[in-house]
Amino acid sequence: MNTITTSRIEYLPRSRRRALVAVALAGYPVAVAALAGLKHTSLNRWLILALFLLLLVPTLATLTVSYRYARGRIDGCRARLDERDLTLRQQAYALSHRVLATILIAATAITEIYLTSGNTLQFDANTFWPAAMWVIVYLPALPSLMLAWIETDLPADA
Amino acid sequence: MPDHQRQVHNRLAVLRAERGLSRKQLADKLGINYQTIGYIERGDYNPSLELALTIAELFRLPIEAIFSLKPMTPLSEEIFREPPAETR
Repeated sequence: MNTITTSRIEYLPRSRRRALVAVALAGYPVAVAALAGLKHTSLNRWLILALFLLLLVPTLATLTVSYRYARGRIDGCRARLDERDLTLRQQAYALSHRVLATILIAATAITEIYLTSGNTLQFDANTFWPAAMWVIVYLPALPSLMLAWIETDLPADA
Repeated sequence: MPDHQRQVHNRLAVLRAERGLSRKQLADKLGINYQTIGYIERGDYNPSLELALTIAELFRLPIEAIFSLKPMTPLSEEIFREPPAETR
């Protein structure tokens, strides 16, 4: 059963993998934004929490699929990586670095524009935790996500 | 394969079929993953010089008979091609 699931994930076409990566990357920020919006409504707190967790499910599911797709090629859990795996890992790490740099530069620029427009930024648990959670969730997962993004479709067995 | 890389054409699939080897069997002989054979055959991955030489050694053929920067002609055409007039 487990092998069948892994095999299906292994053969996921690149277009579907890229859609999963997009969901994984967008899911958490969307859930946090929804939570921030819902906090100002009269909805029951438990209902808000349930909605937030429900919005997190696609992110967690897609992150799991991406991790399974990488099959130990990123974290080095696979016993032996051949030259193509090593090249692919190198490319995945390089792309992760570019993505991370872009996100950090964009976040810094947006914050700078926000602050120079006369606004103030309140730094408390409400702003710290979503940012910290983003780092905890995405930093380790980013290379696996990028590997799922760049690898071409697996050739059919012959 | 990155866009800036030239595609290396190859006859790996034909040679493998001639010798009745599956991708898995060939991969085991070369010490690589079987998917890599598929990627090379499809032209999605250019093997390293070391791997290309190992493949040539395994098939006991010169490397240019297996890999080329130009599209490969069918082997039968190369074997039965008329030699140029001056060499006859």
